[in-house]
Amino acid sequence: MTIDSPTSSHPEADARMSAGAPAAPLRVAVVGLGERGIAHAAVLATLDRATLVGFADPDSAARRNLAGAGFHVPTFARLERLLARQKPDAVFVCSPLATRAALARTALAAGAAVFVERPIALAFRESARVVDEALRAARPLLCSHALMHMPVFARAHEAVRAGAIGAVREVRASVYVSRVFSAESAERLTGARGGGMIAYAAFDLLALLVRTIGLPLEAIATTNRLYGANEDELHAKLKLPRGGTLGLDCSWSVPGHPRPATVIEIEGDRGHILVSDDAIEIDGTAGDHVRLSDADLPQPARFDMDGEPRWIEDRAFVEWVLGGAEPPGANLRALEPHAVMHALEASAHSGGTPTPMPEGLGS
Amino acid sequence: MSPAGRERRKIVAPRLVLGARSLAGITRASRDRVLDMTARTHEPEALAVTLSKAIDAGAEAVLVSPSHRLRTALAELRRPVPLLAVVPAVEWQEALDLAPGIQSRVASARRGAPIGGRMSARFAALLRLPGLMRGDWSALIPVLLELETARLARGELAGLVLAADLTDVALAAGNARFFTRFTDYVWRRFRVPAGLETRNLGWMLSRLDEWKVAPDFVVGPMNPSGLGMKPTAAETIAAVERSNVAVLACELRAGGRVPLAEGAAFARAHGARGLVPDLVEFEDVSNELKTLAAAPVI
Repeated sequence: MTIDSPTSSHPEADARMSAGAPAAPLRVAVVGLGERGIAHAAVLATLDRATLVGFADPDSAARRNLAGAGFHVPTFARLERLLARQKPDAVFVCSPLATRAALARTALAAGAAVFVERPIALAFRESARVVDEALRAARPLLCSHALMHMPVFARAHEAVRAGAIGAVREVRASVYVSRVFSAESAERLTGARGGGMIAYAAFDLLALLVRTIGLPLEAIATTNRLYGANEDELHAKLKLPRGGTLGLDCSWSVPGHPRPATVIEIEGDRGHILVSDDAIEIDGTAGDHVRLSDADLPQPARFDMDGEPRWIEDRAFVEWVLGGAEPPGANLRALEPHAVMHALEASAHSGGTPTPMPEGLGS
Repeated sequence: MSPAGRERRKIVAPRLVLGARSLAGITRASRDRVLDMTARTHEPEALAVTLSKAIDAGAEAVLVSPSHRLRTALAELRRPVPLLAVVPAVEWQEALDLAPGIQSRVASARRGAPIGGRMSARFAALLRLPGLMRGDWSALIPVLLELETARLARGELAGLVLAADLTDVALAAGNARFFTRFTDYVWRRFRVPAGLETRNLGWMLSRLDEWKVAPDFVVGPMNPSGLGMKPTAAETIAAVERSNVAVLACELRAGGRVPLAEGAAFARAHGARGLVPDLVEFEDVSNELKTLAAAPVI
């Protein structure tokens, strides 16, 4: 399968990107003033090396709410006007899914770095256009992946990459969340009737898995509809790049999960990792056993807005735009979980046909 | 601080409160613990008995969001249970469909409020129309409080606590007036302690001191692991020890990492005036509360 997608990073653009870093404090704007937009605004307000310079949302009630909360920053109905007036160095795109890609491209074209909530778009082609725009404009682009920054999952990634369990042979992963009685909410977020479960419930998990074990080669997926027109659960098997398989179960129709519950089991040739929202357990073949919970791991966030990840991720993005290290999930890498989502949906829609990843990701 | 505020200094923050925020899913405890607690308190009678036993064991109040489930449980009891009511009270399923901020919470509370509450809220709104039109949180908060408290039975309200969802946003925004308006209104209108819940205890105490805003207490995480103590454990402890605002420590077990007694001792040793162990942190609510109540105050 070939879809228009960036085929490589642009060396000249990379050079321009590192050469043109703005000075601190970074001038940041937020577009989309729903729950995530407000959370980012709150976190950004606590960062010394960033300053909020504008908010945009077409909904006047959302703009009033943010001003009413006490953020004394100019607000705009349209991003274009904000970009022209405030000239931000970076824009956080937190609008509903259906509008994210277009807004991200607009901000990139205006010369701003972009942090975009996940996923960038439901359609892989749309996400690819945004990444291409970032590479062409030589501006930093980061797609949010909160799960990567949760301390237990971050430790699991580090352990696998450090070879703590040897070569990965098999992976089983699941994410369950209760949204069956809130289809309206899900549709509002995804902007997609009859789709969007992976985007809503499992995208973060896909991003973490791709980062930790690499981009799968092929996906086989089936979905079930239990309560209505939308799919309720997905079962998938993915072929891993270095051999072995990844089994994925995902449902947003399971009772008793107000918050997403994520579990990953990784079998290596020298050990086993079990990680969930509660803790990580690492078992070596020599019988050694380590169990760590959040309380045992570093908690670097200095402001808690629904956990550690938001502060860690926002700060990493701000520091990157100011000339620091590139965070995970940046630029071309942002496209990889979108590619997996695309292959899973394509396979599910064709009744479980093995489906390769879109070409040209250069992973 | 307003004149009403100066009068209110006679109110003393409680020293031992049963936390029940985990009923709304707000906890760092493991999923297994939460499921176990949910199973134990699922029936209204079981929850009612637990709350009643907690009061008998020495808890001065229960920190809880006055949800439908809680009110059903309280209706089973023949005596009022003193509540530190966390507002706004929104079930998690409902929260998914609500826009962020106070306005949507006001609309939600209005739907469930009795006629008297709606009248009081309308009166509170009339006095603050310009602010309401601007979406000003400090104008909206009295309206929200009128609607939320109208659902509580007489004698139950022992204090009002603003939920962390709102306080932490206002804290980040530097909205001192919002906190002043909340505490003043609670004191003047309801004559009960005014508290703030936060996930950023060190930040909150520092800013309150800077703004010279003094609620009766702030509820925030304190535990030996430093879990959830923001900006850092050391800065939080320093802020607690420096602040004139009473701190009620929660998340004492650091998500289950330490025993309750150890977490409680840590919080008390570092300046917490009171403790808020949550339902999900107990093995035996009654006995452990008795032990905590009997422990000498440092």
